[in-house]
Amino acid sequence: MLLKALGKIAQTFVVLFFVSVASFGLLKLAPGDPIQIMLGSEYSQASYDSLKAELGLDQPFLVQYADWAVQFVQGDWGTSYVARAEIFTYAFKEALPVTLTLASFSLLFAILVGVPLGVLSAIKKDTIFDAGSAVLALTGTAFPSFLLGILLIWFFAVKLQLFPVMGYVSPWENFRLGIYHMILPGLTLSTYFIAMITRLTRATLIEVLDQPYIAAARARGEPNWRVVWVHGVRNIAMPLVTILGLQLGVLLQGTVLTETVFNLPGVGQMLTSAVLGREYLVVQAGVMMTATLFIGVNLLVDLSYPFLDPRLRSRK
Amino acid sequence: MTTIDHKKILAERLSARFGRRTILKGLGAGILTAATTGAPSLVRAQQSGHIKIASIKVIDTLDPHFTGFLSSIQIINNIHNGLLKIVYDGKNVTFEPDLAESWDIEGDKVHVFKLRDGVKFHDGTPCDAEAVKFSLLRVKEGEPKSPHAWKLALLDNIEVVDPLTVKLTFSQPYAFLPVALNGSTGRAGTIVSPAAVQKYGADYGRNPVGTGPFKFVSWKENDAIELEANPDYFEAGLPKLERATFVLMNEASTALAALLSGQIDGMTDCPMQLVDQVEAFPNATLYGEIEGNYTFVGMNCKRGPFDDINLRRAVAWALDRDTLVKQAYFGRAQKAFTPISPPMTDFFDPDIATSGRGQWFDLEKAKAYRAKAANQGEVEAVYMMAERGPVGTRVAQTVAPMLAEIGIKAKLELVEPATWVKRRNGSDFDLYDFEWVADLDPDETLYPEFKSDGAWNFGGWVNTDFDDLCAQAQVELDPTARRALYNKAEDLLMDEAGIAVMAHMPIYKVFSNKVKGFQYIPADLVNLHTVSIG
Repeated sequence: MLLKALGKIAQTFVVLFFVSVASFGLLKLAPGDPIQIMLGSEYSQASYDSLKAELGLDQPFLVQYADWAVQFVQGDWGTSYVARAEIFTYAFKEALPVTLTLASFSLLFAILVGVPLGVLSAIKKDTIFDAGSAVLALTGTAFPSFLLGILLIWFFAVKLQLFPVMGYVSPWENFRLGIYHMILPGLTLSTYFIAMITRLTRATLIEVLDQPYIAAARARGEPNWRVVWVHGVRNIAMPLVTILGLQLGVLLQGTVLTETVFNLPGVGQMLTSAVLGREYLVVQAGVMMTATLFIGVNLLVDLSYPFLDPRLRSRK
Repeated sequence: MTTIDHKKILAERLSARFGRRTILKGLGAGILTAATTGAPSLVRAQQSGHIKIASIKVIDTLDPHFTGFLSSIQIINNIHNGLLKIVYDGKNVTFEPDLAESWDIEGDKVHVFKLRDGVKFHDGTPCDAEAVKFSLLRVKEGEPKSPHAWKLALLDNIEVVDPLTVKLTFSQPYAFLPVALNGSTGRAGTIVSPAAVQKYGADYGRNPVGTGPFKFVSWKENDAIELEANPDYFEAGLPKLERATFVLMNEASTALAALLSGQIDGMTDCPMQLVDQVEAFPNATLYGEIEGNYTFVGMNCKRGPFDDINLRRAVAWALDRDTLVKQAYFGRAQKAFTPISPPMTDFFDPDIATSGRGQWFDLEKAKAYRAKAANQGEVEAVYMMAERGPVGTRVAQTVAPMLAEIGIKAKLELVEPATWVKRRNGSDFDLYDFEWVADLDPDETLYPEFKSDGAWNFGGWVNTDFDDLCAQAQVELDPTARRALYNKAEDLLMDEAGIAVMAHMPIYKVFSNKVKGFQYIPADLVNLHTVSIG
C-alpha cells in the first residue's frame, strides 16, 4: 500500500516535468511577447531591446527554462515581467485559495443537491418527478455557465439586489460575507455537476436496488428508508468519487469563466490574463499548480478505494 | 518667428492661472495654511468617503515612465504630478503649471520652472529641483530605456539654478513641450521620488511614490489597486476622498451590473455598446465627448497590392463613414475627414466637412481610382483583425462589404491580440484597423505615426515632404503658422491615402450620482482630486 503510494508520487514528478516543458515551450511558440504588449504602440526599438535584456527574455529557450526550473523547485517563482508581482504570493497565496474555495463550495453544493435528487429519481423511477429531474439535469448540462452567470447576476443581484454582483471575500476571514459572495458563482459553477451527479446517482442506485442483498434486506423487514439510504446509497460513493476525480479538469475549466463573470481573483483569471499578456512565468506557476492539484486529487481517489469499498482491501 | 510672439502664446497659455478663480484659490490656500498651521487635523478632517471604481482594461505598471497604457495613466495621475497639467474648461484644453509655481521662457529654447515650495513626496523626501532633474534624466537616458525618451530628445541641458528653480535648455524651439512635460498623457514630465526609485529599482511600478493627492496602498493582481488620501497634498482642501479603490475587472458587463446595483461607484471606461444601458439608468451620469483620436483602416504600402496609390485611394473613397459610424461605432462616433481631431481647437477646422479637405465617401470617385489601378482583376487582401480596441472586430466586418464594391476581396483573419500586435509591428498584413488615442497636439497625431522611418509607421507610407512639414511644425511656436504646416502635411497623407481615416470617437466614463465634483478632461483621465462621494 505504502509502496504503491510512493510509486504514484514518483510518477507524479515525471508527469509534472513533462507538463512544465510542454507549457513553457507552447507559450514561447505563440507569437508576441510581454514587452511588446506592455509598451503598447508608442515605443522605440531601443527601449524594447533594453527591456528585453533587463528581463532576461533575450536568452535562449533552454537557458530560460533551466533558470525557471531551478528557481521554481527552490520556491522562488519569480516576478511577473510587466507588473512585477511576486508570483508566489500572487499565484499561491492569493489566487489559489480563491479557486479552491470556489471549486470546493460548488462541489459540496453539487453533492448536497445532486445526490438526494438522484436518489429520489431512482426511487420514483419513471414517474413525473423522475422525468422532471431528467429534464432539469439535461438543461443543467447543456446550459453554458457564463450565460447562466450573467442571468443570475441580472436577476438576483441587479433586479432583486439579493446578492452582490461580484467580488471575493475569503470565508476563512469573514465566514458570513464570504459565503454571501460565493452563492451566485457557486451556483453557476455547480449546475453542470448537480446534473451529472443526479444522473450518476440515479443510474447507480437503480442498478444497486436490483441486487439480491437489497432484496434480502427487504426480506429481513428493514424499513424502506434504511434499505435505500444505508444499504443502497453507500454504493454510490465509489463511482461518485471516481467521476469527480476525472471531472476535476472540467471543474477547473469552469472556474475560468465563472471567475471572469463574477470577477473573482482566482487561478482562472490569473491564467487567462497571463496567457494573453505572455507572462510565461505566471502561466508556468498556474499550470504547475493545477497539474499538481489534478494529479494529487486523482492519487487520493485511487488511494481512497479501499476505504470506500471493503472488497478492494488487500487481504493480509 | 520672434520672441514677442512666443511670449504672447505663453501669456495666453498661462492666462488661466491669473484668472479670478485661481487667485481666489490661492487666497484660500493662504488662509487655510494660516488656519491650519497649529492644527493640521482641520485639513485632514475634510477627507471622507471611499470611492470604488471599476478599471476594465489591463494595468501594466504604475511607473509613469514605463507604462504604455492609458488605463494605467488614469491611476498614476492620482499618485503623481507633472511639471505641467492638463486643464479643460468645457471648450479648450490648456496646459498649466502643476508642480511648478511659474513657467517662464527665456528666448525660445530655455524654459524656467519655479517649483512650489514645501512639496513633499509621499515618502517624506522633498520634491525639489534635484528631484525634477532626476526624473527627467530617468526618462531621457535611464536604463532600461523609457519608451517615452523620444519626447525629451531635444532637451540639451537641465540646470538646477537653486533648490526650487530648474532651467531646461532645448536644442530647438519645441512646440510639443507642453504635452511632453505634463504629468498625465505625456508621462515624460511626471516627477517620481528619487529615493523610491533608488529603493525599489525595477519594482518602482509596484511601489509608486509621487506628490499626488493619493498615496499608493496596495495592488492585488486581478483584484484591486487601493489608494488613500495624501493629507499633505499641496492643493489646499484636496483631495476630498479618504480612500479610492480601482477594482480591476475583465468583464465590462459585470462592471455595469455592479454599478447598477450600487456595488461600485463608477467605471474608468464605458464601452460604446453599454452606453445605451447607462443612459437609461437614472442613477448614473455619463461623461464623454469626442476626444483627441482618430480611427483608420491601415494599408501596407510596402508591398502589393497596396503599394499602388490608386488602389489605396480607391479604398479611401469607398468607405461609407456614415454606415461605419452607425454599424461599427454604435452611432456614437463622429466621421473624420483628416486625423486632426476636434479637441485640438487651435488646429481643427469645425467646417472641415465643407472645406473640401481630407477623405470622404464617394463611390464614383473610388471606382474611378480603381479603374486606374495596376491590377484590374479581383484583388485579394488579408485584413487582420482581433478582439481588441474599443469595438473589436466590428470595423473589419463593416468595411469588408464596402471593399467588395470596388473589387477588393478582404480575407478577414481573426487573430489573438498579442499576435495582432506582433504582426502589426512587423508589417505583416495587407489591411488592418486601428486608432491613435488621447492626443492633445497634432505632433503626436501625425509625426511619429507617419514619419518615413518612424517606429510606429506600420503601413510604411513614405513622403519626405510630409516629414519636412512636420519637422518644421515641431519647432514653430506660432499656432497659425503651425496649423498651416499641419494642414499641408495632413493633405499629403490623405491625398496619397497612406491610411483611410474613419472616425473620431467619444471616450466614456460613468459615475453614480452619489459621486460629485468629477472634472472631465478629454484625454481619457480619471482625476479624483476634486471628487467627493455622498
